[in-house]
Amino acid sequence: MANIKPAGVFDTTYEDDMAIDRTRRDKFWKNLAFCALLLVPLLSASGPLGLGLLGDQYIGLIARIAIYVIAVQGLNLLVGYTGQISLGHAAFMGVGAYGSAILARELGFSFWLALPTSALLTGMLGLLFGLPSLRVKGFYLAMATLAAQFIIPWALEYPLAGWTGGTRPLSLPAPMIGPFTPYARDSVSPETPLDFTAGAAFIVDVIAVELTAGAVDSARIDILQPGGAPLPYGDVNMTVTRDAAGNVIALRYIASKAGAYRVQLAGAAEARAEVRRGKALSFATDTAMYYLIVPLAVLLMFLARNLIRTRTGRAFISVRDNDLAAELLGVNVFATKLRAFFLSAVYAGIAGCLLAFERNSISLQMFQLDLSIEMLAMLIIGGAGYPLGALFGVTFIRLLQEAAIPALRPWLSDWLPQLFPFIDAVNITSAINPILFGGALIVFLILEPRGIAHRWELLKAAWKLRPYAY
Amino acid sequence: MLEIIKKYEAQLRWALYALGAALLLLFLADQLAGKKAARILQTLLSGILVGGVYGLVALGIVVINKASGVFNFAHGWMMVVGGMIFWSFFSVSEISLLGAALLATATMLLAMSTASFSRLRQRRTQLLVLGGSLLLTALMTAGGSDWRWLHALSGAFAGAMLTGLAVERFAIRPLIGQPLFTAVLMTLAIAEVLHGVTQIAWGTVELNLPIFVNPATGSRFQPIRLEGLRELLDGLVIVRVELVIAFVLALVAFSGFIIFFRYTSVGLAMRATAEDQQLAQAVGLRVRVILAISWAAAAFLASIAGVLQGGAVGLSLNISLVALRVFPAVLLGGLESISGAFIGGILIGIVEQFGTLINSSQQVGTNLAPYLVLMLVLVLKPEGLFGEKRIERV
Repeated sequence: MANIKPAGVFDTTYEDDMAIDRTRRDKFWKNLAFCALLLVPLLSASGPLGLGLLGDQYIGLIARIAIYVIAVQGLNLLVGYTGQISLGHAAFMGVGAYGSAILARELGFSFWLALPTSALLTGMLGLLFGLPSLRVKGFYLAMATLAAQFIIPWALEYPLAGWTGGTRPLSLPAPMIGPFTPYARDSVSPETPLDFTAGAAFIVDVIAVELTAGAVDSARIDILQPGGAPLPYGDVNMTVTRDAAGNVIALRYIASKAGAYRVQLAGAAEARAEVRRGKALSFATDTAMYYLIVPLAVLLMFLARNLIRTRTGRAFISVRDNDLAAELLGVNVFATKLRAFFLSAVYAGIAGCLLAFERNSISLQMFQLDLSIEMLAMLIIGGAGYPLGALFGVTFIRLLQEAAIPALRPWLSDWLPQLFPFIDAVNITSAINPILFGGALIVFLILEPRGIAHRWELLKAAWKLRPYAY
Repeated sequence: MLEIIKKYEAQLRWALYALGAALLLLFLADQLAGKKAARILQTLLSGILVGGVYGLVALGIVVINKASGVFNFAHGWMMVVGGMIFWSFFSVSEISLLGAALLATATMLLAMSTASFSRLRQRRTQLLVLGGSLLLTALMTAGGSDWRWLHALSGAFAGAMLTGLAVERFAIRPLIGQPLFTAVLMTLAIAEVLHGVTQIAWGTVELNLPIFVNPATGSRFQPIRLEGLRELLDGLVIVRVELVIAFVLALVAFSGFIIFFRYTSVGLAMRATAEDQQLAQAVGLRVRVILAISWAAAAFLASIAGVLQGGAVGLSLNISLVALRVFPAVLLGGLESISGAFIGGILIGIVEQFGTLINSSQQVGTNLAPYLVLMLVLVLKPEGLFGEKRIERV
C-alpha cells in the first residue's frame, strides 16, 4: 500500500527501492514541511518579528509535543517494531530527566554534556530491565517492565533522595552556549560594589566572581538582583565554588532577567574580588527551546525511520512477526530484543532530559504509571509500527486535551452536579484527562487498531490513485 | 568443564537456587535479628490477614484470565468502583432516586441482553427488564437508614454487575480474535476510564466506611491483645479485629466462589469454556454469555474486595494500587490456579508486612518488595508455583 509510486517511477536498483525519499516531490514536501516548522516561532508575539499571529503558549505546546514524540518514537521502536510490550517507559523518561538534572546540579555538567550522558545511562538501565526478555515474552515481559515502573521511581525517591530531593521538585538551569570571551573585567572591594545592567532574553550576561585577596572566611560575595534582594546561594542559575573549609571563594551566575544587578563584597577592607562579565546564548525562552527541541526531534524521527531499513531494523520486525522464524533465519533474537530495549530507553532518556530542561523543574509525580499508559495510548492511536505513528498519536492526544478539556469542563461542571447531587464539580477538572485518553484508546482499539498512520497511508494511496480507486 | 556443567545442569541449577535462598535467609535473619519475637509474630499475622483480601483480588484476576485469556489490569479500578458504590448507598443519608433508577435499569438492560441486543425486542425480556429494575430500585432506596445494609448490598450487586457486563460487552467482546497485546491495552484503557469516572463521582478524598463496627456499642472494635503470649514472646501482639473480619469474609467469599465454580452447572460451563472455547461452543454452551458471566463474577469479587479493603483500611482511589501489588501474587501463585491465587495473595501479604517491618520509613513493603518478588518469579519460575507449565521457547 505504501509502495504506490506515481506513474513512470520505477525502482530499478536496490538503492531506489530502499530510499527514504522515493521521488523528488517527496523530498521537496518533506523539506518544505521542516522549513515551515522552523518558521512557526516567527509568527508568535515574542518571536523576533513580533507578528503576534500565534499565541505564545503554542510555541511551548509544539515543543512539548516534540518531546513526547521523541519518547513515543522510542516506545514505537520497542512495541511497534520489535513487538515487546513495555509498561515502564515513563520510568525511563524519569531516569533521563533526573539523570541530567543530577549531572547538571551536582557535577556541573552543561546541558550539551548532560544530554548524551543521561541518554546513555538510561539506555544501560533499559538493557538491565530488558534482561528478563531472555526468559519471558509477551504478557510476562509486560509484567517485568511494570516492575521497572515501580522499582525505578522508588529508587529515585528513597535511596537517591540525597540527589533527587525525594518527592520535592528539582529545579534546573536553562541550557546555554558560551560564555564567550569576557567583555569586561572589574575589581570589587567592600567599598566599591559593581553595578551593571544585564541584557535581554536570547543573549544573557554571565558573570564570574572570584576572590583574589583578603581573608577568605570573613569575606562574602553577594549578587543583588533587580529589586535589590540578594540571591540565595542555592539559586538555579548560580554555581558556587567552595574551598576545602566550605567557604565560598567563587561564584558564577547567569543573569536570566533583564535589569540592574549589583555585585558586592562584605568583609575585611583589604578583600578584593575579580568580576568577569561575558555574553552567552541562552535557551531560557520557549522560542529558543523550540529551536533546540524541534530539530532534535526531527533528527531522531529520521534516525528511527532510517534504522528500520537497516539490518537491525529488519531484525526488529522479524522478531515481532515471528521470533522462531527469525531465529531460524540467523537473527540473534535475544541480542535484537536487548538492542530494542536499549534504543527505546535512549529515546526515553533524551525526551526526559529535554523535558527537564524545558520545564526547568521536575518532580517524581511526572513519571508515574499513568504516563506510561498514556504514551502507549498515544502510540496505538497514532499507529504502532509506522514511522509517523508517534507524531500522529502525540499530536492527536495533545490537541484533544488542549481543545476538549477547556471546552468540556464548564459544561460538565454545570449539568453533572445538577443531575446527580452527590457529584462535586471540583473533581471534574482533573478527571477529564484519563477519561479522554482512555476513551480515545478504547475507540481506536475497536474501530482502527492500526491507528491514524494507517488511515494516512490509505489517504496517500487514494490520492496517488485518483481518479481511479484501484 | 562444559561437559560437567551440561551433565549436572539440573543439580547445578538447584544448587544455585539453594545458594540464593540461603543468602536471602541470611539477609532476613540479619535484618530481623534485633527484632523481638512478638513483632515478628505480629508481622506474620497481619501479613496473613492482609493477604486474605489480596487473595480475593487475585482470584478475580485469575477467573478472567482462565475464562477469556485476558489479564485484567483494570481490576484495581473495579475494586474502587465497587467499594465506592457500596459507600454511596451505605453512608450517604439521602440516596439519589434518579441515580439508583439509572443504575438498576442499565444493569437489567445489560443483563437481559447479554447474548445480543436483539433480545430486547422480545416482550418477555422487556417485562423482565422493567420488573427487575423496579425491584432493584426499590431494594436500593426503600425504607430509612435502618435498611442501609440492604441498600448497600443491592447497590453494590447492581454496580458490580453493571461494571463487569459493560466492560465485557463494549470493550472486550469487540476484540475477540485480536492479539493479546490489544486486550492488555484495552484493560489499561478501561482502567483509565474507570479512574476518571470514580474521580468525578467520588473525588480524591479518603472516605470513611464504618462497616466493621461492634453491634453492641456501635463503635469500632477494640483490637485483640494476646496477653497470654506476652511472657513467651517478650512483647504484646495486637491483632486488629477489622483485619480478622475482612480475612474471614474474604475466605468465605473465596470458598463460596469455589463452590459455585465446582458444583453448579454455570460453574461447569465456565470451566468448560476456560478449557476450550471452540469445543464448548460445539457442545452447545453459549460462550459469549459465559464470558459475560465470568466478567460479572470477577467484578463481584473485585467489589467484595474493595468493600473489605475499604472497611479495613479506609476507602480512597489508592486502593486501586492494591491490585498492582496483587499482580505479583497472581504470577507467584500461577496464572491459571485458583488455590494458587489465595496462597500467592497471602505470601505477598507476608512479604509486604515484613518489608514494612525491616524498613518502615521508605515504603519498602508496599512500593518495592512485591515488585522484587515479581522480578524473581519472572526470572526463576515464570509459570508460578501452581500454574500450567507452557512449553514455549523464547
